Amino acid sequence: MRESILIYRNHLYLKLAALVSLVATTAYVWHTPFERPNGGTWLGYTLGVVAGGLMIWLAWFGVRKRKYGIGKLRLEDWLSAHVYMGLALAIVATLHAGFQLNWNVHSALYVLMMIVIISGIVGVYFYIRFPIMLTENRRGMTAEVMLTQITDLDREIRQLAMGLDDATNAAVLKASQETIVGTTLFSQLRGFDEDCETTQARRFVEDSEGSGESTSRRQLLTRLVRKEELLKRIRRDVQLRCLLKTWLICHVPFSVAALMALAVHVVTVFYYW
Amino acid sequence: MQCVIRNIIRKSRGGISAKEQVVDADILLIGRGNDCGIHLQDPRVLLRHAELTLRKGDVYVAPASGADVRVNGNLTQMVKLSVGDVIRIGPYDLTLEANDQHGKVTIAVELIDALAEDLGLILAQSAIRTGRISLRAMSWAFAIIVLAALFVAPLVTNLFHVSSPSNTLMSRSESNVAAAPTEMWSSGGISAAHKFFGESCETCHVTPFVPVQDITCLGCHESVEHHADPVKFAFASFEGRACQSCHKEHQGNQTIALSNQDFCVDCHKDFAARAPKSELLPVADFGTAHPEFKPTVVTDAALLAFNRDQFISATSPPREDSSLDFPHSKHLRAEGVRDPARGNVQLKCQNCHQPEGGGAYMLPISFEKHCHQCHALKFDVYVPDRELTHGKPEEMFKQVSDVYDAVAMRGGYEEPEAPPLIRRRAGEPLTPTQKKEALDWSAEKTNAILNGRFGKGQCDGCHKIFETTASSGPTGAGWGVEPVLASTNWYPKARFDHGRHRDMQCETCHQAKLSVASSDVLMPSISTCRSCHGGEHATDKVPSTCISCHGFHRKGLDPMKKTAAEAHGPVSKPVAKP
Repeated sequence: MRESILIYRNHLYLKLAALVSLVATTAYVWHTPFERPNGGTWLGYTLGVVAGGLMIWLAWFGVRKRKYGIGKLRLEDWLSAHVYMGLALAIVATLHAGFQLNWNVHSALYVLMMIVIISGIVGVYFYIRFPIMLTENRRGMTAEVMLTQITDLDREIRQLAMGLDDATNAAVLKASQETIVGTTLFSQLRGFDEDCETTQARRFVEDSEGSGESTSRRQLLTRLVRKEELLKRIRRDVQLRCLLKTWLICHVPFSVAALMALAVHVVTVFYYW
Repeated sequence: MQCVIRNIIRKSRGGISAKEQVVDADILLIGRGNDCGIHLQDPRVLLRHAELTLRKGDVYVAPASGADVRVNGNLTQMVKLSVGDVIRIGPYDLTLEANDQHGKVTIAVELIDALAEDLGLILAQSAIRTGRISLRAMSWAFAIIVLAALFVAPLVTNLFHVSSPSNTLMSRSESNVAAAPTEMWSSGGISAAHKFFGESCETCHVTPFVPVQDITCLGCHESVEHHADPVKFAFASFEGRACQSCHKEHQGNQTIALSNQDFCVDCHKDFAARAPKSELLPVADFGTAHPEFKPTVVTDAALLAFNRDQFISATSPPREDSSLDFPHSKHLRAEGVRDPARGNVQLKCQNCHQPEGGGAYMLPISFEKHCHQCHALKFDVYVPDRELTHGKPEEMFKQVSDVYDAVAMRGGYEEPEAPPLIRRRAGEPLTPTQKKEALDWSAEKTNAILNGRFGKGQCDGCHKIFETTASSGPTGAGWGVEPVLASTNWYPKARFDHGRHRDMQCETCHQAKLSVASSDVLMPSISTCRSCHGGEHATDKVPSTCISCHGFHRKGLDPMKKTAAEAHGPVSKPVAKP
């Protein structure tokens, strides 16, 4: 995915979505029912049918993108339209609801739908920015390669520390034994660890400078700094990949939940007509 | 001490090889440091971890300060070693294999716990891969949760709720009704008036997938009247329109009645074109296009005749002929009025006009409550304790003649012009001739009083008196009092609530101080109302819509909707639910 989906075909789908939103908004302003604007007036029903149709069509993208080469439109068309029509849906559905929210199934649908739309906006940003950010961060290496470099550094670091005092040796040993990246989802998403054992060891070595054996200390310090920097990049790499995955977990299952809520919304409205 | 150090290396296939090294020292240091006799190359070992010394042929081990040294598994301080003892230092086991008691010992050194492989260690305790979650499974789970929580659960639990006998509208007074589980399907808040049963959906939504039927509304609102006479004004009968086409429920905590002025104005703005038979004037907005008020006034109290012809602000304004003479100006004058008991009193409107219980309208004026205090109907200063009964002219003759018959019989009457016979000492007996004379005086006196200023004259103060040729007339004195009829509501087609205007001064709307005649109609004109009230869309006045003053369903007309029995004829068997 590239930034070009936003400007695809000279903003064709942006214009289409803007037209749909404009028509809906004009009708809403022009229409003055005797009661509060709501989904039960003739305009309310009309906007509801449009919004429901949009939801189903937007969800169809999930099917379409798995089937290459069918239909007249290219996948880029679908994606560009998916993004802009999703934004138009937020407007049409809000007008259909007449800006009324309550504790009921109808508002539950609205909330689920908005989660999907907002996550979609976030997703557009992620998919445009993250591939660049990942490449820049990796500088041609994968996380595994960076880890191998770290283990090499660790070996050197331990060797160097062996000849130094016990406290330095212990700090460096701890740093090499307890190099941890990720573990929980939270720490993966966090992307950094300012109290990482390596950082603590680096600080310790920095602070104890001048207590003899300055050559090996300096060598030790440069390797610790290098290891720290590699760890930062690995954590960033994990963070970005984890964000993408988390985004997908938000967008897709919530969109399926919203479709089910749409069905419940329609049935219950007519159950208690 | 001469020490043979055997470095033991275990091979992967199970073999053991040992590299021997001999060290000569008095004190044998053990540690990571290069100066140590037993040099242990592992970061887990301290620079100087422990030392071995020889005393009288025995080998002693002493840990460095703070160092972790275990002999045969026990954490220890300085201890004598026997052959076979194992000293644990970091990842190494040092075994005393031999001691010849003459300064020659053999110690085996073996790395027991090698440092873990780095990459494996990092990967084991890290998570650099993102979790594997099946989107498909998660989507199914979400969809099922939504379906179960929002649809299936309320639907199923509602079945038990509906069948509960305590949930019918009629039994509501007895117990509080639990909210229906399907309340979460409600599209919005219930109107204030329907809240008391609104949590039970089936009260109105009788059959699923069928819109609410009028018959359900009529269960409570059977008597709701037509808007206009459906025969004369068929177009205003709203035939075929359901109750809920105007009364939209689930619009939140407000009234369910439409208050939009546009709804009324749609028909009433060009009313003559729409309803030529109607006398109603066109109206579009209270603030800018509403006709002047026309009060309903009494035109003939005796004939109970009313009329609503003239605008209140016309140059010859409407006058009410209630047959009473009550000048407001006299009673409200600034210098006050004379009260026989309290002296000079400044009267206020509230002295006579008191609000009824609801506060909207005023209680009727009564002579006894409001006039009698000053206008007691006494008729003779020499009989100060007797009064005429108000409102009963037919009893007047008997009341007065009874008084003077008694006076004539008893005597002691102090009026100077009275004959000596009547003025005699009280209780002095009369002869039959004197008795006749006294009764003649009584009849004459009665007639004089009734036709004098304390009889006819006193009634005439407020009422219209008519003379009659019949010798007696209603009062028995040749005259009578015209019947009285005053309007109780001059604007019967509108509602006005005095209670909601209680902080206003009466004079703001009713110019009573200037009214010298009781035929004045002291009702305000529309301009008075408009000084505060505007139309529905007014921005600088109180926004007032049609139903702020007028009702849509008009009292006195027939019910708007037919009940089930009327619609289907006499009911011989239960009518099926709509």
